[in-house]
Amino acid sequence: MELPFKKEINTELETNSVAEEFAKIISEGDVICLNGNLGAGKTYFVKQIAAIFGIKNASSPTFAIVNEYTGQKKIYHFDFYRINEVNELYDIGFNDYINDADSIVFIEWAELFPDVLPSNTIEVKLTLNEDNTRVIEINKNGRR
Amino acid sequence: MNILGIESSCDETSVAIISNDKLTANLVSSQEFHTKYGGVVPELSSRAHLQMVIPLLKDALKKSELRLDEIDVIAATAGPGLVGALLVGLTFAKGLAYSLKKPFVPVNHIEGHIFSGFLMDEKPEFPMLVLAVSGGHTLLLHVKSFYEIVKLGTTVDDAAGEAFDKVAKMLGLGYPGGPKIQKAASEGDPKKIKFPVADLAGRYDFSFSGLKTSVLRHIQKEYGPSLQIPEADRNDIAASFQYAVIKALIRNSERALKNYDVKTISIAGGVAANKALREAFAELAEKYNKKLVVPSMSYCGDNAAMIAYRGQKVFESGKTFTLGYNAYPSLPEGIFQD
Repeated sequence: MELPFKKEINTELETNSVAEEFAKIISEGDVICLNGNLGAGKTYFVKQIAAIFGIKNASSPTFAIVNEYTGQKKIYHFDFYRINEVNELYDIGFNDYINDADSIVFIEWAELFPDVLPSNTIEVKLTLNEDNTRVIEINKNGRR
Repeated sequence: MNILGIESSCDETSVAIISNDKLTANLVSSQEFHTKYGGVVPELSSRAHLQMVIPLLKDALKKSELRLDEIDVIAATAGPGLVGALLVGLTFAKGLAYSLKKPFVPVNHIEGHIFSGFLMDEKPEFPMLVLAVSGGHTLLLHVKSFYEIVKLGTTVDDAAGEAFDKVAKMLGLGYPGGPKIQKAASEGDPKKIKFPVADLAGRYDFSFSGLKTSVLRHIQKEYGPSLQIPEADRNDIAASFQYAVIKALIRNSERALKNYDVKTISIAGGVAANKALREAFAELAEKYNKKLVVPSMSYCGDNAAMIAYRGQKVFESGKTFTLGYNAYPSLPEGIFQD
């Protein structure tokens, strides 16, 4: 997969194959931001990637704020949806998670708190269209 | 025997004491508590737990008319939950255990919920079918004894309580979503809109992500782009959504009732506070002639009473733990039999 990447998706199977290609180009230390509305498929996308790394128990981290999975890779799966202010993130040790060079970090709703993100991230933008098709866009983000 | 229970897995800090098999205190931190002791800290934080745990312990001892050195066993939630939050309660418990030279018992939060029905006067009987539903979990379990728990199904994406919160937000009902949806739903027609819920054929697993998306679709289609929803319609959407969630929970539970030996049905966790869900389970229990035990409201949300209760059972099983026992963020694979 070459970045930037953009594809229109009609079926779950197509999402799965994008996830599979994407999983090949990410590695420990990467921070992947997932943006897109409720129902766009953020959790589903992370689940597919986790499955490729042998992790079967990935699910939505909205309530827990962060889920940790260990398979062939170690994954921190964040969700900023329920966060009210930046201090809450620092208070749960966000910096420790994000600076763990042995893990891949996924962050759903990352755009809600852009200031806490490191300078180099990969953004996966998911759009759910009116006709139930989806668009997946993946970009390298260098802030500033 | 006096058991101290400490819970700090997510938002709530709670301390409870069970004294000679009787619950003598079950205190949960509240906003007033925060104001009284700490002032303003982020609602969701390890610091909030840190601030609450000592005042809660002091109040719990006072309420139980016990001194700290009269505590015999110290139990605390070890996981699953937010690690930073878990560590506060767990480390505090270990510190107490070390200084008082009393045994320390780590408790699995979900197991706390599973056996929370035993805090009621009317006790469940094994084997039980337990549905543990909250903002973070949706688990269907066949519980044969205090020590034999078989996991039948779980959510493959969103937890049931999370779906409530997210749909409440879509409808502009605010947080927490459970009570808000319940209130709106009580004035709406549950059969007005047919929202589909995924049935993962023949299995006991749940999926609520698609339901969430179909509610969103419905709102966008009917009220876009302004998304101004008339109140009557809002109530109908809330009622129809709630109906769909309950239908899925009942469907899988009924499937399990047909295939497993069950004496008691029990629902636990924050979503078990939902009135319509309680009614649906009362009907299910009656249909299959099973005993139904639903914990009262104060034992549905996160609370330390269930941690103290479970802690006592684990202690009585003879299992011992070192102070090196660590917090775990996710439900460890294989902790329940498949």
